[in-house]
Amino acid sequence: MKYHKKTSQTSRSTMKRETPHAEDTEEMIPSEPSHDEEENVAPVKAKRSKPEETEGEAEVFHPVKLSRSDLYRPPTAEELNQLKEAESLFHCSLLKMQMEELLREVVLSERRKQQIDCFIQTVTSLLQTVPRSPEVELGDLSWLSGAVKVPFLLIPKASKGKFHMAPPASVNLIGSYPLGTCIKPSIMVDLAVTIPADVLHPKDVLNQRYPRKRALYLAGLAQHLTSSSEIGTMRYSCLHGNRLRPLLLLTPPGKDSSSFTVRVHACPPPGFFKPSRFHPQRNSIRTEWYTGLSKSQPESSEPPTPHYNSSILGDLLPRAHLQFLSAVSSQCSAFADGVALLKVWLRQRELDQGTGCFNGFLASMLLAYLLTTHRVSNSMTAYQLLRNSLNFLASTDLTVNGISLAKDPDSTAPALADMHSAFQVVFVDPSGHLNMCADMTACTYKQVQHEASLSMQFWDDPTVDGFHALLMTPKPMIRTSDHVFQLCELVKLQSSCKKLNLLSELMDHSGNYIDAALPFILSLLQRGLDQRIHLLTHSLSPDPEWSVESEAPKHKAQPPLSFGLILRPELAASVLERGPPADSPKAAEFRQLWGSHSELRRFQDGAITEAVLWNGETSYEKRLVPRQIIAHLLQLHAGIPESSLRYVGAMVDDVIKMGHEVPSTGEEQSLKVVQSYDDLSRKLWRLEGLPLSITSVQGAHPALRYTQVFPPVPLKLDYSFFDREKISRSLVPKEGKPCPAYITPVTVICHMEGSGKWPHDHLAIRHIRAAFHISLGELLSKQHRYACKPCPSHLDVWKDGLAFRIQVAYHREPQVLRESVNAEGLLVVRDNEDAQALEMATVHRPLLTSTLHGLQQQHPCFGAVCRLAKRWLGAQLFSEDITEDTADLLVASLFLQPAPFIPPGSPQVGFLRFLHLLSSFDWRNNPLVVNLNNQLTAADYTEIKNDFMASRESLPVMFIATPKDKKLSLWTKQAPSVQMLQRVVMVAAESLKVLESQLMDGNQTQDVRVALRPPLDPYDVLIHLNPKQVPLLSQAVDPPAVKISRGVMSGNVAQSGGALPVIDYNPVSHYLAELREAFGDLALFFCDPYGGTVITVLWKPKAFNPVPFKTSQMFARQVEVTGEEVHTVPNIEAILEDFRVMGKGLVKSVEPRTERWAF
Amino acid sequence: MAPSKKKHASGQTCVIPGGFTVLSLQFSPDSPAQHKLCVKEHKVRAERSSHRPMDRTLFVLNIPPYCSEAVVKELFSQFGAVQSVELRDHPGAFQHSGPKLATFFKPAEKKGFKVGYVIFQNSSSVSAAKSHPLDVPLVVSAGQHPVSTGVQKWIQQYRESFIQPDKLQQTVDSFMQDYDKRKEEEVERQKREAEEQQEDEEGWVKVTRGNKGAKARPHSEAANQRTLQKEIVKKKRKELMNFYTWQHKNTQKEHIAQLRKKFEEDKQKIALLRAQRKFRPY
Repeated sequence: MKYHKKTSQTSRSTMKRETPHAEDTEEMIPSEPSHDEEENVAPVKAKRSKPEETEGEAEVFHPVKLSRSDLYRPPTAEELNQLKEAESLFHCSLLKMQMEELLREVVLSERRKQQIDCFIQTVTSLLQTVPRSPEVELGDLSWLSGAVKVPFLLIPKASKGKFHMAPPASVNLIGSYPLGTCIKPSIMVDLAVTIPADVLHPKDVLNQRYPRKRALYLAGLAQHLTSSSEIGTMRYSCLHGNRLRPLLLLTPPGKDSSSFTVRVHACPPPGFFKPSRFHPQRNSIRTEWYTGLSKSQPESSEPPTPHYNSSILGDLLPRAHLQFLSAVSSQCSAFADGVALLKVWLRQRELDQGTGCFNGFLASMLLAYLLTTHRVSNSMTAYQLLRNSLNFLASTDLTVNGISLAKDPDSTAPALADMHSAFQVVFVDPSGHLNMCADMTACTYKQVQHEASLSMQFWDDPTVDGFHALLMTPKPMIRTSDHVFQLCELVKLQSSCKKLNLLSELMDHSGNYIDAALPFILSLLQRGLDQRIHLLTHSLSPDPEWSVESEAPKHKAQPPLSFGLILRPELAASVLERGPPADSPKAAEFRQLWGSHSELRRFQDGAITEAVLWNGETSYEKRLVPRQIIAHLLQLHAGIPESSLRYVGAMVDDVIKMGHEVPSTGEEQSLKVVQSYDDLSRKLWRLEGLPLSITSVQGAHPALRYTQVFPPVPLKLDYSFFDREKISRSLVPKEGKPCPAYITPVTVICHMEGSGKWPHDHLAIRHIRAAFHISLGELLSKQHRYACKPCPSHLDVWKDGLAFRIQVAYHREPQVLRESVNAEGLLVVRDNEDAQALEMATVHRPLLTSTLHGLQQQHPCFGAVCRLAKRWLGAQLFSEDITEDTADLLVASLFLQPAPFIPPGSPQVGFLRFLHLLSSFDWRNNPLVVNLNNQLTAADYTEIKNDFMASRESLPVMFIATPKDKKLSLWTKQAPSVQMLQRVVMVAAESLKVLESQLMDGNQTQDVRVALRPPLDPYDVLIHLNPKQVPLLSQAVDPPAVKISRGVMSGNVAQSGGALPVIDYNPVSHYLAELREAFGDLALFFCDPYGGTVITVLWKPKAFNPVPFKTSQMFARQVEVTGEEVHTVPNIEAILEDFRVMGKGLVKSVEPRTERWAF
Repeated sequence: MAPSKKKHASGQTCVIPGGFTVLSLQFSPDSPAQHKLCVKEHKVRAERSSHRPMDRTLFVLNIPPYCSEAVVKELFSQFGAVQSVELRDHPGAFQHSGPKLATFFKPAEKKGFKVGYVIFQNSSSVSAAKSHPLDVPLVVSAGQHPVSTGVQKWIQQYRESFIQPDKLQQTVDSFMQDYDKRKEEEVERQKREAEEQQEDEEGWVKVTRGNKGAKARPHSEAANQRTLQKEIVKKKRKELMNFYTWQHKNTQKEHIAQLRKKFEEDKQKIALLRAQRKFRPY
């Protein structure tokens, strides 16, 4: 090998990586090629203050130091008021300021307003100059040039009437912009163009004649505007997904084109139609016209068309609404801010856009309702307005008790009862005729209610950061709902409409079969899922947008409909649906719902009832029972085949699947381990003949809290595969054979009674413990025939095909380790690492294990989330930095402090939230408080936060506080480092993005494992391992197709006896430990502990700097002499050779990536 | 080989400023790369220990992890008979490590690079080692003495981790006997000291400077602190709260100051968050 030795200056320069971060000496981990994600990453910089780190200084919080004179000067009355208000109104003044800051971020700037006004003026004057055109038949589109199409689905084609273009009677601003409630982002400015009266005819209400004229008029405007250069882009859309109400979207030209959009509405002249024509019980679309079949029916027997009616009525009223709202807002100074906050709240919950949404207009109307009914006062602040509206929403069910803004409605206005019979959600406008929530489904309103009551809960909880939970955290469906499913081929809903006999609804929705069928499908699912779910939500189909040159898209072109389920964990997974007794009248109903699946069954209590039994043996399968129900119901009642159903409930679970015959995600295996451990613990308690009695037996292993990624499975061994040890006849791995199956020792801590006979010296205690291991082993093998292996530090027991590692502990040992006698004979207590490690192993870890075991009992999917999270951490090579205990705590925090969600009800959603937590938590400025067993009070939270702030610099980068550990963050003391945390944050954000987009989009390649394959290009050396010597190979992310024999047989596992197998022998971990010990100061080593076959090495950034020769720093280095000065640099060639030598038999090849660095 | 040593012709020893001689070492005869050991005679002014006789001890730097004491002994015996080898994580003075421990009770050794003290039987061997040429490498794993690494070594380790229970019991017993004996001696010694402080027939007490100090003062730091705490509590109890008007006024003033401070702190926090653009909801 050619070896160029460089002088000290050049060797540094050649070391520079080809990444943009080469200059940044603190940057240990070179970032990935794509740098766009870095902007999303919260700046987690600067842990311990390092002299060269100045850019981090600005972001660090320093406790304020006010001078004495500042603090104690006499207060003015105004200041006193301000302080008092902050104290009494808000949890703290912080929340008030936060809200103010938020508002500042979302309101429109003056500059933007000027831009908008200017553009509106241009558009208005352009619109005024629309030329008249000769009158033509409504069906004749020849007057339109081919470049512009009509934004309307002309089905059925035939229609009567005449149409011509004419300049608008007036052009006015309506909606949120003139009201001042318009907020960023996606600024929409609504412009109402009044169609002159002579274009319309009072009878146009019938048979879509008016909507068609309206669409034609818009097309005419579009045609006129195409020639103008002052318009940027022109597209069509429709108002809240309603195809009867098309819109023309205009953007300004040039670089401002994306900054705001003007929506042009076409409206009839005010009062042109009589509002009483639009009573929800009246019909405005004749069956004869719609179906094309002549069936002369009297008008009275025609079905009512409430949705059609309200969509036209909606066009009549916007100006009146604007007047009403501006009158209200002029009374209340905080009105605009209150609406803005409410809009932000809605937007974070994806409720403010699409068909049947709770839009900003409804938000303003709701606030107006509260103000006019004196539920809130005019002098309240925005913060109080938000709080009161949420409270109102949470406590009022508009699906049953609708509300009305009409003060004294005229006699023709429909009664609330009429509204309720026609619509699911009722909120009547000031005129008394229009239901503003006409398109909203009951499910959407329930979702709003659910969100509002959740928000109130978080608001009142002083331990939750309400501001973040309410207004800052987005709640996309995939991260909110436990299970999500999609209807992919929407065209199938057309046949559902036929099957459900929905002709009149179809007429009412003017052929939009999706909107027509949706309420029925929702109520069907609600009935079928019943007790299993808290809430059924559905996505609001987004407003379609298309260019003016193309035809209006068909209904089926909509993106798939998504439905979200929030499960009741205790009932969702039940395989039995028990119905009413066979002879009760409800039985028929039950049979009708479930069809052939319903059978008569006799139960143990003697009852004979109708029942449906679903398949499901393991909890993985049981979790998918809702899927079986949904597929069955949709097929049976709506004729939607299972193939067009895309169920995203357990896709991610795949990566921890382990069963061979029955698919399982390890819950059953974990349970077996726990049962075996319980049995062992009972046997330990009952042992007789020990010199001291046992005071406690505690598990201290992830497998005993259901969070081991791949819980140990009972194994039966093929003895011929192994060598034998001479004395005890135990099994020993054979050289030349593949590494035997890895047997995880499950750690059990066994505390012995305190006694005066325990020596007061740590060496002596260790010897006594060894003696206990021997005698425990003897007793266990004598009384229960377990194979045992006593060692000074532990006792291995082979039981039920599982290995347990019993460690005897003495509760005073950490104390003894801390005590020492100083030179003056004074007994001093000094904390040290040994004592801490011992305390961790014998006190903290068992406690954590039992606490988390309890959490698993409350939340059945806790363990599975932990396992997914740890599988991901392992696969991304982070398991050394975020240790198992830390990961479990992070997941526990998702269950204990779920705001703004409720605790995850499926592993997948838990995992997504875990990634979100990792990527979005502000570790720099906040401690993560995990309130295990609910032991912390609000005061504790404050105390933790204050302590944290006071000594941030000296605390671990990732700070996790628990009730037993409020100040130190024991679990994250060693790792991760700043650089590693930074990388974890980055990779988590990227994985989340990839996973979520894949889960929500059926068109992408469906491979969730993409998120578990780490990018290998940032690493400097790759050590490829021989798969035969990697015992956990079958757990790899992409397990090899070929199976390697590892000395395991199938068959029943004996409970006791037999030779002791090879326990805890994993060459990879031995190798890693040796590498880290030998080269830890030069490089970092990463490996996936679950079957990874490559070890990645990263040189530390300063590793190659020559340092002056020192006897204590001469490891793996070579000397360079320049004159009288001696420097040393790492001996890379020898180190690479050592990688091979130290891992002989395990290492397949060492691949130095010299393109990344040179030596 | 390396450019910095090109000035030395082949077959010559390489001595660097500081007095160290550079030797090269490779794992097996056909290894492509070599480690560079630095050796020097052991010379420390402060240390006058018989464990490392100055004239016969060779100080070796940068011993790779796969070289055990036995291997190092074998390596350096080509310069003369080796009496003993001591491997350490860091250079430093010889330390006595408590009572003798059985191998399996010793704390796990670090497996990294080491420094070594090779003690030869003859002082001539030291200079022989120091004049060894650079380009004749020492070979760790040669024909007759193969050194096992990797899988082979780990299997061997696993084999060695088995300890016969009775043997282990024996070790424990002997250690505990030893420990009890030491304890007894200690007790005996204390008794003797106590006796010495008794009055003799003529009523004289012999005052000695025992290393334990007088009995009267507390023996542990914790006890010291407890006494101090008690004093403070006593003082506190005597104070009167909100008794005089000025005290009351002060409390109120303090409250406002607290509110102000909190306000300022919150303001600062907000400013900090604003700087980080933390108020963008989407």
